[in-house]
Amino acid sequence: MPGMRLGTRLTLRRKDWLAAFLRLALGAAFVYAGIWKHFYPYQFTETVMAYQLLPQPLVGLSVALVPWLEMVSGALLILGVKPRSCLLLIQAVLVIFLVILAITMLRGLNIDCGCGLFSERQVGLLAILEDVLLLGLAAWLYWLEVQRLLPAR
Amino acid sequence: MFRRLLAQDLTWGILILALALGLGLQSHWPLVRLGFKGELASRLDEWRDQYRQAEFGEIQTVNLKQAYALHRQGQTLFIDARPRSEFRELHIAGAINLSPEDLQDSGDQRLSGIDRQCQIVVYCGQQNCDASFEVAELLQAQGFSQVMAFTGGFRAWDEAGYPVDIAP
Repeated sequence: MPGMRLGTRLTLRRKDWLAAFLRLALGAAFVYAGIWKHFYPYQFTETVMAYQLLPQPLVGLSVALVPWLEMVSGALLILGVKPRSCLLLIQAVLVIFLVILAITMLRGLNIDCGCGLFSERQVGLLAILEDVLLLGLAAWLYWLEVQRLLPAR
Repeated sequence: MFRRLLAQDLTWGILILALALGLGLQSHWPLVRLGFKGELASRLDEWRDQYRQAEFGEIQTVNLKQAYALHRQGQTLFIDARPRSEFRELHIAGAINLSPEDLQDSGDQRLSGIDRQCQIVVYCGQQNCDASFEVAELLQAQGFSQVMAFTGGFRAWDEAGYPVDIAP
């Protein structure tokens, strides 16, 4: 059925375009978030310390590592260099942050989450929802990349 | 096949992580060193003071003890600069809610009944928030002459067990 095959191909192509667009958007969001943290280390240190979870040596290390991890993984994802590894790293960052948000909510701390891309946001359900959505997106993009390489059954 | 791919991806992931760590240590080494020396918190206080001095130099400040003394005298208006949701949860007894956004949006209406000579203490969530300074600055610009920022914020007040209210 040639008509069906064409339809499937078109659907696939649309999915590929959507995935490419979302991959760029996710990469750009991470680069943006990383740049902000890198150029405002004092504000980022305050944000990390407000969570009251890490001892000072680990706060310092996080403030050094997280911005560059976001910038490097986001930039490589945009450029299409080792995209699967970047997506795994992004998922790891989002899972860790999700755990931190959950612990902070359970502790009842009303603090700025440091995660609002364009505006300040408190730790709460909205921040958790945003994190889960990004995590789902990164996992879906990873799975698409893997599927492309796996032999068809 | 999937496991082999995953192992390969994880290996590259670890290499990218190492690259990011290297770049991070190289660009933020003084901060990392302060963390290992246990001086990050005290240095942060210094940075915050310097920043506030530069940004809000003309705003007077009060500490917890001074804020409590003013509250007990009953002559001072307390303004809570936090978002409405936090104010509704709990706030300093007798305080009114006025965030920087409120003031920018409808400041004239909200301030119409308040005497310009009235003594005002503005606070926000905790020591590291700047909303209290932003509101204090906006109030000064509106002609209020006795405005102070309470630097400890609501957390210090609550932890001290001083009087609080729930939503009016």
